[in-house]
Amino acid sequence: MIRYIFLLLQKRLWITLLFTVSISALALGQTDRLTTVEMEVLPGLQFSVVRFTVKPGERVKLVLNNTDDMSHNLIITLPGTREKVVEMANKLGESGPAAGYVPKTSDVLWTIPVTAPEKANELVFKAPEKEGVYPYVCTYPGHGTIMFGAMYVSKSGKMPELTKDLNIPESRRGDKVDGDAGHPGHAHEKPAPLHPYTPVPPYHYRVFIDGASPAAIAVALPNEVSYCWDAGTSYLRFAWAGGFLDNSDLWKGKGNAAANVVGSVFFRSKTGFPIRIGEEKPSEIVYKGYRLKKRYLEFHYQVDGTDVYELIHEATDGTGLERIFRIPEVTDPVTFYTASDEGVTYAASAGVWKGGALQLTADQARSFTITMKKIGK
Amino acid sequence: MERFFLAVLLGLLTAACSTRPEPGEAYIVENIEMPEGLTSQVGALEFLPNGKLIAGFTRGEVMTYDTTTKEWHLFAEGLHDPLGIHVVSNDEILVMQLPELTRLKDTDGDGTADLYEKVTDAFGVTGNYHEFNYGPEIDSKGDFYIALNSSSSGGTMRDEVRGTINLEGRDGETGNRQMFSTVPYRGWVMKLTKDGVLHPVAAGFRSPNGIVVDNEDNVFVTDNQGDWVGTSPLFHVEPGKFYGHPGSLVWTKGWNRGNPFRLPLDTLDSMRTRPAICFPHGILANSPSQPVFDRTGGKFGPFEGQLFIGEMNRERIVRVMLEKVNGKFQGACIPFLDSLGLRKGNNRLVFAPDGSLWVGQNAHGWLGDVGIQRIVFTGKQPVDVYTMKLTTDGFQLTFTQPMQDTAALNPENYLFSRYYYLYHHNYGSPQQDLEKIPVTAVKLSDDKKTVTLQLASLTPGYVYELNLGNIPSKWGQPLRNSLVCYTLNELLNN
Repeated sequence: MIRYIFLLLQKRLWITLLFTVSISALALGQTDRLTTVEMEVLPGLQFSVVRFTVKPGERVKLVLNNTDDMSHNLIITLPGTREKVVEMANKLGESGPAAGYVPKTSDVLWTIPVTAPEKANELVFKAPEKEGVYPYVCTYPGHGTIMFGAMYVSKSGKMPELTKDLNIPESRRGDKVDGDAGHPGHAHEKPAPLHPYTPVPPYHYRVFIDGASPAAIAVALPNEVSYCWDAGTSYLRFAWAGGFLDNSDLWKGKGNAAANVVGSVFFRSKTGFPIRIGEEKPSEIVYKGYRLKKRYLEFHYQVDGTDVYELIHEATDGTGLERIFRIPEVTDPVTFYTASDEGVTYAASAGVWKGGALQLTADQARSFTITMKKIGK
Repeated sequence: MERFFLAVLLGLLTAACSTRPEPGEAYIVENIEMPEGLTSQVGALEFLPNGKLIAGFTRGEVMTYDTTTKEWHLFAEGLHDPLGIHVVSNDEILVMQLPELTRLKDTDGDGTADLYEKVTDAFGVTGNYHEFNYGPEIDSKGDFYIALNSSSSGGTMRDEVRGTINLEGRDGETGNRQMFSTVPYRGWVMKLTKDGVLHPVAAGFRSPNGIVVDNEDNVFVTDNQGDWVGTSPLFHVEPGKFYGHPGSLVWTKGWNRGNPFRLPLDTLDSMRTRPAICFPHGILANSPSQPVFDRTGGKFGPFEGQLFIGEMNRERIVRVMLEKVNGKFQGACIPFLDSLGLRKGNNRLVFAPDGSLWVGQNAHGWLGDVGIQRIVFTGKQPVDVYTMKLTTDGFQLTFTQPMQDTAALNPENYLFSRYYYLYHHNYGSPQQDLEKIPVTAVKLSDDKKTVTLQLASLTPGYVYELNLGNIPSKWGQPLRNSLVCYTLNELLNN
């Protein structure tokens, strides 16, 4: 869900950008018109609109809507003076805050003052009569070297090809906004390594992921089978086949996203916590941790004080999971509940199935295996 | 042992007084080569008893680094944004990650952790991206302190959360425009006692990305400028107190005052405890991170016992000089090191056994950098402000070296201004009531190291910013830093 919001947001920004450009085009030959540029702030110190064109002498309204969680200003400078102005702003030192980080120099043409997160400020000005590339930049401490863009003042409205535009940050010369996620998404790019090692299943990540609590553990197994075991609820939540995770949203910028499942989910728990020891419904389930056994995770939790260990392997044939349980100190019979609409068939190494519930004697419950197989192909 | 080091240090300083110290940079910055393929966003940095570095990274790796062979080794993986490590032994550590505090242990001696044991998860998580957790820092009794970030207004709560939801912990009227605390103890500093129970200690934190415990078990926490935080502070954290960000108050035991964001500003202001140190925004630091005490016994230079704090938004390490006035901590902050090859994003600091200061960098989508650097004391004594202390009518500055008389005695070389920051729901605060304060008298001690400055006025509740003029040392070497800011909460009683 969050990912979709993020995508929508990006889409909206692109629409804003296109809209801006089209307004500029409409304004050709009509210098009395007001061109509006809606500027937002993207994660990683980026103006949403990295360049735009206006005509000489045209009236321009520039709105800075600070969608970031840091404060920013926006200064428009004379052509070729951006770096100099940033340098002067840095040298303001202790007088910077009172000056709004704007240095006193005739190189500064117009200024949108420091704008706090969620706030907006606007500036209306008459574009210079002289054609040229007029930089805009945030001179907030530390931002100036990364956070800038270019206002093209020209009669023709032409701008250089984006990839060859040296007036915008290098990171913005591609077609992507805020790249660098290490996601091997595009075939023509060499995928950036995700880790200083090549992950070989079984391996795991603790991540935020849909369909589980925020204390989820996602595990990749051999045979392209993966599962999500939830340390917030102490049970297996879902499993999928055909891949593992795409963490590119999660590892991009501030990580305001979730891990995305790659492949298709074939199991989703409908029973909730599946184990009952004795007659009573458990009143307290406590997650204790996990141990790597030949890199497979064996989870440890307590059901009303009784230790339960659950080691999860991929099924040996077909798509599925093998769950090896140990309840070493158990003295009561154990029931393991399943539901018919969970997408899998169940089989057990011991016990008796009764209406979808596996009944085990205390003896059997000390060590048993449940195999879950994906229904259908 | 400590006394011995102090004696050595004093000896060194005395020696420095009598002979002309060698000129040159007192500190150098070295880069540590990171393993290929690692996204070196550093969340945690410590040293093992065997002298190896151990570091946690945003994508969940915990790695060790042999400082002799310069080899990296993977110790653990798959963690959820590890942001703090406590070292138990060479093969056992505690790691603070987003969902829990976890014990990682290599039980079979193969050099990698095989046990990932929960130590505590007795706090809520909504799945908001900003629910960072910091620490653990141990005190002399063996109890641990952790700090829990408030949730960000820039993000949401996930559909499924961990912990009881209380929506009064967020600003209801404006949606969630301010950082919030809708599950237990977001925005709190917590204490884990040896029995495994996690206790709430103090509320009111926004983004407390730095926690340290001193030799007397005082807990200090940094916070980040933003809503309700006019400028980034260092707090002395005491049980039961409130440090300013309202949302977390809903988790106070017996809280019956409704949505804390609805309380009158005066009420909130009267409830809060002020920072021991304010880092003036845009001047000293915009995003202070982990504080560490210099306990190197002089191996890192003359600042033994003082605090060093990373700064995320510029190439800077900040130094803090604390003192107790009327039983309360306050004091001064000063840039310790600017540039010299240091990067931005100085997120985690740790002293190595050899006394060098290791710095782990992080950006995490904000302004910063990646990698690890090491700051080494060259043995050349810096010319710097050693301490800044309050007097009844001004301040006393002690320098690390004897200073040149005429310059040190010239009142024009001490330009004071003072200002304060507003406490309000807005994001940050401009400087308020900014005013220059004249120096009315200057005295220099016989050893030429201490100047006593009388000011025309002293008003509590203000930051006193001092800009030093060109005051060279007795041997003509320039001062390293000319800016020092004292947070005046308490006046000295006559």
